[in-house]
Amino acid sequence: MAKNVLTMHRASIYRLVTDMAKQRLDPEKLLPLTSSVFHILLALSDGDLHGYGIMQEVAEHSGGQIRLGPGTLYGAIKRLLGSGLIVETDQRPDPELDDERRRYYRLTDFGRQVLKAEVQRISKLVSVAQQKRLLPKRT
Amino acid sequence: MLSKRLYQLMLLAYPRDFRLDYGSEMTQVFHDCHREIESGGLATALQFWLRIILDVVRTAGVERWETLGKGREIMKRTDVTGLAICVAIIAVAFFLLGYGRKHEVASILLFGHALDAIVTAGVIGNLVVLLLVKMKHLSQFRTALWSLLIVNGALLIIATLIGNAVDPSFNFARLFVGYLVSFLFWLTIHWIWSRTNTATQSVA
Repeated sequence: MAKNVLTMHRASIYRLVTDMAKQRLDPEKLLPLTSSVFHILLALSDGDLHGYGIMQEVAEHSGGQIRLGPGTLYGAIKRLLGSGLIVETDQRPDPELDDERRRYYRLTDFGRQVLKAEVQRISKLVSVAQQKRLLPKRT
Repeated sequence: MLSKRLYQLMLLAYPRDFRLDYGSEMTQVFHDCHREIESGGLATALQFWLRIILDVVRTAGVERWETLGKGREIMKRTDVTGLAICVAIIAVAFFLLGYGRKHEVASILLFGHALDAIVTAGVIGNLVVLLLVKMKHLSQFRTALWSLLIVNGALLIIATLIGNAVDPSFNFARLFVGYLVSFLFWLTIHWIWSRTNTATQSVA
């Protein structure tokens, strides 16, 4: 009896679980990203980094325009860890040069999907700006 | 080294859990950033410290707000009901007191001291109990017992000092009974409230 009920409801249970998973892991739902979150994810897209490494990378790829403070950085890291966009990793990129006290962070697959979705969103905005002749078109 | 100590002091602005999770890393990052500007002049140092102070002020506020937000999330239906009942009791007591004084109703004025104490100790005491229970996750009945005892006691002392100074017909015994009634009344309310919470938790 219980087996029959389970078989009958298996399809609906499966649908419910997959729907919940899709809803939870839909990158579009997290957009638009805040400036600091976007820059942190972008910094981690090349590989694992510790906090200060992220800070330096962000300053470098923004041409020094964005300088994250420790509070902004770790506030964002806390939220990124909570939403599963990054994880803490035990692997050290360069064990000899490394300080063991530092914690390294890695972009998850879901984090990469979110970053790509955000880049596509920005790209669409750039296209609109080009159509409105606010930007020269790319050749 | 002094700058590192100063930054560690500034970290006290963040909630405890956040400090425990990220405090040492933030100090390490601060130290790294500070090393970068050590060779710069006074203007660079001032600019750096201004950036750090603004960062702490802005982000500590956000983290504190989030911590309070978590507190709001765990506010159960029984808590909302209990809070509403407390507010209603205070409002009714305040209205009765006002009505009695305006129309000089002897039966209400007889309980004037108790109503006065229920309103003042109710507002301050319940606020203290709510903040302590929700932010520090303390036991509701014990927190209520000590908070209400301290609040009613403090208000009794203040009212005695003022009464002695301004009212020649001041009666300490009446005032004492008023605050005793208020203490027992609010303690009973919190006892019922905490019992309801425990019952709800065991059902859940």
